[in-house]
Amino acid sequence: MKLLLLLLPLSLFAHLNIAVSYPYIGAITKSIGGKHISTIVLAKGNWDPHFVVPRPSLISKVRNADALIINGAQLEIGWLPALIKRAGNPKAKAGSQTFLNLAHHIKLINKPQKVDRSGGDIHPDGNPHFHLNPQNILYLAQTIKEFLISIDKEHSDIYQKNYEKFSKMWLPKMKMWQEKMADKKGLKVIQFHNNLAYFNKVYGLDSIATIEPLPGIPPSSRHTMNLIKLIKQEKPCCILHDVYHSTKTAKFISSKTGIKVVLMPHDIGALEDIKDLTSLFDYLTSAIQ
Amino acid sequence: MQKILLSCALCATMAFGAADVLPVEKRTFEQSKFIPDISLILDSSFVNRSISDDEAPHLEIPGVVHGLLGSDPHAEHSHASYNANNGFNLNYAELILSSSVDPYLTLDGVFHFSEASVAIDEAYFTSTALGNGLRAKGGKFLSNFGYINEQHHHAWDFGDMPLVYEAFLGMHGINEKGLQLQWTAPTSTYLMLGAEVLQGENEYMFGNSSIGDVEDPIAKGADAPSLLVSYIKTSFDIGDTTVLAGLSYAKGASRIDHSLDEENPHAVSGTSKLYGADLVIKHYFDSYSSISWQSEWLSRDIQGTQYSIDSNDTNSALGSSQLSKIQSGIYSQLVYTHDKNYKAGIRYENIYQNDVEIDGVDSNLENNFKKYSVMIEYHTSEFARFRVQYNKNNALYNEDNEKQSIDTIMIQVNISIGAHGAHSF
Repeated sequence: MKLLLLLLPLSLFAHLNIAVSYPYIGAITKSIGGKHISTIVLAKGNWDPHFVVPRPSLISKVRNADALIINGAQLEIGWLPALIKRAGNPKAKAGSQTFLNLAHHIKLINKPQKVDRSGGDIHPDGNPHFHLNPQNILYLAQTIKEFLISIDKEHSDIYQKNYEKFSKMWLPKMKMWQEKMADKKGLKVIQFHNNLAYFNKVYGLDSIATIEPLPGIPPSSRHTMNLIKLIKQEKPCCILHDVYHSTKTAKFISSKTGIKVVLMPHDIGALEDIKDLTSLFDYLTSAIQ
Repeated sequence: MQKILLSCALCATMAFGAADVLPVEKRTFEQSKFIPDISLILDSSFVNRSISDDEAPHLEIPGVVHGLLGSDPHAEHSHASYNANNGFNLNYAELILSSSVDPYLTLDGVFHFSEASVAIDEAYFTSTALGNGLRAKGGKFLSNFGYINEQHHHAWDFGDMPLVYEAFLGMHGINEKGLQLQWTAPTSTYLMLGAEVLQGENEYMFGNSSIGDVEDPIAKGADAPSLLVSYIKTSFDIGDTTVLAGLSYAKGASRIDHSLDEENPHAVSGTSKLYGADLVIKHYFDSYSSISWQSEWLSRDIQGTQYSIDSNDTNSALGSSQLSKIQSGIYSQLVYTHDKNYKAGIRYENIYQNDVEIDGVDSNLENNFKKYSVMIEYHTSEFARFRVQYNKNNALYNEDNEKQSIDTIMIQVNISIGAHGAHSF
C-alpha cells in the first residue's frame, strides 16, 4: 500500500511548486493558489530588486520548480537569466507555458523616448515597479489566476473562487487607501530612485527629483547641491526613500534643508512590520504625514 | 543661412513622407527582432614592470613552466598574451553574441579580437529542453573545472590569472572543443555533477599530436578526444553567507612539444592528471556590499617519457628518460566590495610542491614560488571598471637560475556596451 502511494504521481497531492522572483508575487500567487500550490520566493524583500545575489542555492530552487513567475520589464535582467540557464529546467524557461512574465500584462509608464546608457541604467520597456499601485495588484492577481488555470485546469474553480475572494478583500481596501491619500494629492516629493512611480501616479504625488542623478548612477556632490537648491525653491514635503540604498545623502540633504526623510518599503519584508500585501499598502499610505 | 537649413529640413521631411516608411512591426519580412544579444567588452591596461620586455619571456618557474610573463616565446603559436608589455596594452575587444536557436537550444559565441587577429574563445550550443536538471553543451567552451576556469578574464577580481592556473594550464585554462553534460540534483541543497569529453589540445599540460616527423615520430600521438574532466559542486547558505565548494578531476594524454625552444629543446609524452578543490565563501552586508574569500588548490601528476631533442634536427631525439612530475599550488584571495563604486582585494599564491623525478632520481628542484597581489577598483557604473593592481612576484627565476623579485603595477580598464550580461555566482 505504501509503495502504491509512492508510485502515484505527485500532482495528486495537489502541490504545484511555483518559483517567483519577488515576495509580492509570492503573496499574490499564494492567495490565488491556496493550498494547491507552494511558492518559493527567490529574492529577499529588503534588498535592491535589481541586484539579487545569484546564489547557487537559487539554481536548485529554479531547477525544482513546476512554474516560474517573474516581474519582468528587465528588473531581473542582472541575476535571473544566469540562474535559469544553469537550472536546466524547461518549465522555468522564458516562453514555456509554465513561465509567466507579469510585465507583459500591465501597462508600463515612464517608457523612455530614447534608450541609451548615457541616460543611466534605464529600463527600455518602462518603469518595472508597477506593483506599487494597488489597482495593478488586482490585475496581477487576475493574470496569475488565469495562469494557474492554464497550467492546472483541474482546480480552475478553486483558483477562480480564491481570486474572487481576494478581489472582494482588496477592493474596499483600495477605496480606504484612496481616501487616506486624498489630501496628499499634488504634494511634491523627492525620491532616491523612481521606484514609487506607480504609487505616486495613482495618488497624485508629484515626484520632482531623485537623489541619484540618473537611474542606477550613485549620488554625486554636484547633483546633491542642485537638489538642495531645488528643495529650497520648491519646498517638497519629504524624501521618499527606499530601504536598500544608504540614507547618507538623504540625511545630508535633510540637515541642510530640514526636509523629512520617510522610509518607503517596496515589498513584503522590506521592513520588519511588512508581512503581507495589505500591511505594505497600509504602511505606504500612512507614511506621509 | 537659416533659410537654407529650414528648407533642407523641409525637403528631408517631404522625401521621408513620400517614401511612406512603414513602422518596423508592419514590415512583412523585417528580421531585426531576431538580432541576437550583442555586447562588446574592451580590456586594456597600462603596465609598469620592474624588468624589461626583453627579459620577461625568458623567466621560468623551474620544472613547472617557462615564459609566463611578457609576449609568449612560442611565437609560432602567436598567442595574444594579456598585459604583456610595459606601457600600454590592448588585451582584447571581446564580442559576444547570444540567442535562442529554437525551443531546444541556445547558441553563444565569444570572439577575442586582438590587434592582429581574431580567436574564437568560445562557440557553443546549450540544450534548454532536456529537463530533469540536465544540461548539455557542445562546441568550444571554457571547462567548468574548478572555480575560475569557466569565468572570462574580465570577470576575475585580479587582472592576471592565478599563478598555479597559468603555470599548469596557460592563460586560457582548459578551453577546448568537446561536449559537456551537467546534472543538477533534485535536492534543496545545490548539488551539481558534471562531465566533459574534450579534444585535449591544451599545450601546457595535455596535447595529443605526434611529436617530430609524422612518418617516424619521436612520440606517437594519442587518439582524440584525449581529455576527460569531471567535477562535483555544492553550495548552501547560512543566513547572508553563501558557501560554494567543488572538487574537480581531469585526466588526459600529454604530448608536450618544446622541440623549438632555443635552450634545452625537449618533448614529453605521457599521461597527466589534474586535481582541483575550490572554496568560495561570500558574505553579503546588503545589496551592494560584500566580502568574499575565494581559494583554489590545484595538483598535477604527469607520468611519461621525456625526450631531449637535437637542436640541429628537431625531428630526432638525442635520448629519453622516465619523467614524473607531481606539482601543487594554491591561491587564496579576499575581496571586499564596499558599494557599487569601490572594491578592493588581496591575493596570496604559492606553488609549494615541485617533485620532479627523472629516471627515478629526484631533481631536487626549488618548491617555494610565491606571489602577492593587491588591487583596488573603481566602477563608474556596472559597465565600466578601472583597476589598479600591484604584484610582488617571487616565483620566477632567470636563465642563470637566480630567483627574481618582480614588482608590477597594472592599471586595467574594462568597459562594456550592449546587452546586459547576467552575473553568475
